Amino acid sequence: MEYNVRLIETLSMLMIITSVAAIESHNLKRAAAAYVLQALLICGLILAFAAGNPALYVWALTAFVTKAFLTPWFILRYIARTGEQEVPAIIGFGPSVVIASVVLISFYKLTHTYVHVLAPTPEAAAGVFRTNLAVALTVFVLGLYAILSRRDAIKTVIGLCLLENAVHLSLVSLAPEMTETALIGIATEVVVTVYLLLYVIAGIREKIGTTDTYELAELHW
Amino acid sequence: MEQTAPSALTQLVFFAPALAGLLAWSLGRGRPVVSEVFAVLGAAATFLVSAAIASRVLGGEILTGWGLELRVDSLSGLLVLLISGVTLPATVFAIRYMRRRRLLDDNGTDVTDALLPRFYGLYLLVLSTMLWGCVTNNIIMLYVAVEATTIASGLLVAFYWDRRALEASYKYLLLLTVGITFALFASVLLYASAVPHLGGTNAMLISELQGVAALIPRSLAIFVVALFVVGFGTKAGVAPFHPWLPDAYSEAPSPVSALLSGAMCKMAAYALARTITIFFPAYPPLTVFIVVLGAFTMLLGGIMALVQDDLKRLLAYSSVSQMGYVIMGLGFGTYLGVYGGLFHLLHHGVVKALLFLCIGAVIYATSSRSMSQLGGLGKRMPVTAVCFFIGAFSIAGLPPFSGFMSKLTIFVAGAQAGMWSAVGVAIFTSLLTLIVVVRAGQAVFWGSPKSPALTLESVKEAPASLYVAMAALAAVSILLGVYPQLAYPLLNKATLSIAGVLGH
Repeated sequence: MEYNVRLIETLSMLMIITSVAAIESHNLKRAAAAYVLQALLICGLILAFAAGNPALYVWALTAFVTKAFLTPWFILRYIARTGEQEVPAIIGFGPSVVIASVVLISFYKLTHTYVHVLAPTPEAAAGVFRTNLAVALTVFVLGLYAILSRRDAIKTVIGLCLLENAVHLSLVSLAPEMTETALIGIATEVVVTVYLLLYVIAGIREKIGTTDTYELAELHW
Repeated sequence: MEQTAPSALTQLVFFAPALAGLLAWSLGRGRPVVSEVFAVLGAAATFLVSAAIASRVLGGEILTGWGLELRVDSLSGLLVLLISGVTLPATVFAIRYMRRRRLLDDNGTDVTDALLPRFYGLYLLVLSTMLWGCVTNNIIMLYVAVEATTIASGLLVAFYWDRRALEASYKYLLLLTVGITFALFASVLLYASAVPHLGGTNAMLISELQGVAALIPRSLAIFVVALFVVGFGTKAGVAPFHPWLPDAYSEAPSPVSALLSGAMCKMAAYALARTITIFFPAYPPLTVFIVVLGAFTMLLGGIMALVQDDLKRLLAYSSVSQMGYVIMGLGFGTYLGVYGGLFHLLHHGVVKALLFLCIGAVIYATSSRSMSQLGGLGKRMPVTAVCFFIGAFSIAGLPPFSGFMSKLTIFVAGAQAGMWSAVGVAIFTSLLTLIVVVRAGQAVFWGSPKSPALTLESVKEAPASLYVAMAALAAVSILLGVYPQLAYPLLNKATLSIAGVLGH
């Protein structure tokens, strides 16, 4: 199988950059735009891999509908009602970019070097699949970082979307032959979860007038 | 030898409640009674289907559907019976309970009746997704089903739509989705590593994966187990992934708390048991890790329960603690350990649902759930008090209730396995639990009322439909304590379906 290695590696690097952009942009609309861009990159990546495995076309289409269309639509519709400015994060912009960069470089290096620990088959540990797995795991960690460090509930949801994108991207290396029902089940659930989360966040905003998760401190212990 | 038989029951068991739920939701608009009728009928029908499944499974069959996509062995049968058996009384309880607290919209209009159809619709959908998770044989669909239970129940947690309920629901949806993503990753890794041995289609089937667990590279196997523990463990309330649990259990309406604690965390424990035990034979040290996790969970939950004033938070932390016993039992990995773990799962499902309903009855009568405000209710609410103490003594592990038998089994299993420190922690936590529940019961039902509102004429025993539901669950707890052999045939077969994997 011949893969367009240069294309795949370029798209992979852009994936990581869009993750950082989605996390670090203080304007929620721009963060959502970065997320849409990332979703399109995922579709592009899956299509690039589909050259070697036609079954992936279905996955690319599913990813397009759920990630590049439905999820951002829900998020943007919400932002249109509530305003674009993010509740400031715990960590300032400069330090946060530094932390994100350190996380991504070290984690990418780590997963790329020790890919055999994770790779279920020798093929998945070699060539473009190795890059794919390392990128997926790096985006996963960046998503976790966003969820842990951001105060704005919408930003947390975007972090969750990054997390899901990462796992879904890894399917290309890990489970290219998965049945359509399983793929559609996985993709649909994320969209529904995002919708519900935004619905609940809208309720929170109505009750307490903010989407700052630090204000959610009624329940502890 | 067990025979595999295709059966429509495997589909019916989760389609029936889903259909009833959709009917309750759509036909109940403007007529809450209709949705209530569909809810009770749906839950009852599901229970009957589950009973039919259990009896077929006891007869030595393994039921399948859609090829091998659905597969109900005795372990699935046990869970299906428990889940639908707990949901039925909780649904009956919900009818009167959910009409009690009137919900107002922003204009002050009473919208309770308008919201009830949605409540029952989602309630039955939660039941459906839980049962689906217990009958599916597809590792990816197991993840999908577990996440579906979260989605379906998210709005039930937020049902009261006040600040606390919304906060709980936000944490619930977010933390569980993040957690379960780890399980998806684990499922995909497990699937991918089995593909070379089984082929693309069969590698998804949990029943087939058992055979190839030993062939998976060591580092990957450990990584997969860790991801499953985070993923399904979050949902099951395993510490330290439990922080969502006390919020969600306490802010949800009581019948929903009963469903979450009595059934949903059991389903997650089932998912955990199904997935991680397949690695035990090849990697025995894993069992020690699981036992330690169980011990940590039970101790932390027990200590946290001790400092609560809110009765529902207390029960929630106690749930965390009791799940520790289940995990520990499974972790021993021996026949007796797994038997004890599953027995405790059965016992705790019934008894914790009972306790949440009892506290629900107290809230129904007094609108309060704070120990420091209640008191002296024993005389006014004798049935609730008796049911509560049956549940309390059972959960503390006193004879002749179900908790005594299940905990004893786990203690003995631990002793046989030579893990004395684990047994020590388990016995210590048992004493803690006794203190927690007796203190709670004493504060609520004994002594004199601590607030003037409690002396009002309106504070009286809950209506019959509430205490019938509680009494039914209390009766099951006594029955399982006095005649533990009643549950033996099913528990034995269920244990062997795991222990068969363990090579015992």
